[in-house]
Amino acid sequence: MSLLPWFVAAWLFAVGLYGIVTSRHCVHLIGCLTVCQSATYVLLLGLGFVRGAGPPVFYDHPPGMPAVDPVVQALVLTDIVVGAAVSALLLAIAIQVQRRRCTLDPQALRPLRPSKRTAE
Amino acid sequence: MTPRSRLVLLALAALILVPAIVRIALVLPGFGAPTALYGQTVNALLPDLRHVTNMVAAVNFDVRGIDTLGEEFMLLCAVTGATVLLRGARGERGNLRAGHISGRPVLARADATTLVCRIAASVTMLFGISVALHGMTTPGGGFQGGVIAASGLLLLYLGEGYAVWRALMRGPILALLEGGGALLFVLCAAGPLVAGRPALENVLPLGDLKDLYSGGLMVGVNAAVALAVAGGFGLLLLEFMEETRVPADDPAPEEAEP
Amino acid sequence: MSGASDGLIACLLLAGITGLLVVVTRDPCRQVYALAGNGLVLGLLFLALEAPDVALSEIAVGTAVTPFLFLATLAAIATDRAQR
Repeated sequence: MSLLPWFVAAWLFAVGLYGIVTSRHCVHLIGCLTVCQSATYVLLLGLGFVRGAGPPVFYDHPPGMPAVDPVVQALVLTDIVVGAAVSALLLAIAIQVQRRRCTLDPQALRPLRPSKRTAE
Repeated sequence: MTPRSRLVLLALAALILVPAIVRIALVLPGFGAPTALYGQTVNALLPDLRHVTNMVAAVNFDVRGIDTLGEEFMLLCAVTGATVLLRGARGERGNLRAGHISGRPVLARADATTLVCRIAASVTMLFGISVALHGMTTPGGGFQGGVIAASGLLLLYLGEGYAVWRALMRGPILALLEGGGALLFVLCAAGPLVAGRPALENVLPLGDLKDLYSGGLMVGVNAAVALAVAGGFGLLLLEFMEETRVPADDPAPEEAEP
Repeated sequence: MSGASDGLIACLLLAGITGLLVVVTRDPCRQVYALAGNGLVLGLLFLALEAPDVALSEIAVGTAVTPFLFLATLAAIATDRAQR
């Protein structure tokens, strides 16, 4: 079972990507993007895990004890919080799409057309 | 692009990528094997070098502090972008009433909800501040503490209702928290630079191991991140909540059955 | 078994299942609950991977903030549709 985290990460990414491609609602699409992001978290933390080691916090046990990799944890930590803010930005865009186009179906939305008026 | 062709493209990409992923998974060191040297070095050296016990916070705020500065500004940009989008389309009008969909009952808020949410919101916000302050010693730090404090603001809305909550959450104060946090981070990075040292170098006294004040400049960076994250998420909560309001001249919702 | 205990394997498989549930739930109002559950399961997985900081962050963000943002967006969309 030493390959399971890599395959779970690949599975989550594939499932999220499939959800994005076949989505019929913009908000559902943003949820699938969250699943894709979680795939990277699982991969990074799986890379840092050391068998039989504790967390990289040396408050209760002295600093010599084996601990897992703190660098990947730092990466994932900031990524989770910033990812939530980026999801909020995407949701704000979805609200604007609803206001302007009155539909939230990604497959029914067409790209913006240039205005027919001549530029001033 | 039709949905069919989109799925065909996805299948094509999977056909190419899946063998590559399998090959890479077989080549990676096994799950649980000792990891890269950088992390092991951080674990071995940093308690003595910086007098902190939380290695993740040390990596975030000191060793890779410049990366966190970039992430901080990504947060700032995302929150600013969302605010500009929403507020720009909505305008700055006041006197808003909850958006009401006809046919849906409007429920009154129970007293038990208000009581429980008042207690829970206070505890949550205090807990968030505690988690942020103890970031150098125990698991925690600015990011976690800021998000927990912001979720305490949500509980406050649940208990008090929109009118009271809106009067408490002032947009300029939250924006000040967020921008002030980012500015404090930049000052912590630029301060040593002005004195001729490398940016973000730990110039403050380091304090003792397992103490509340430990890590030197990390304490300032931690506080900056906590302020910025709490202010940023508070702003997001405010803006999204404002989106569910409609102008006051709309017909008011019907009264709820008791 | 090299490298992983039973609890860790169970958490990994559960995370895969909840990820699938988030995608398969097509109705956005139901997907919010799937997202909150996914956040909780991921937090437990990160705890099993000896990452308490990350688990704290994921639980706070994934179960409180992200579902709220989705709910507020859906409410704004429903209000806008009702007004048209």
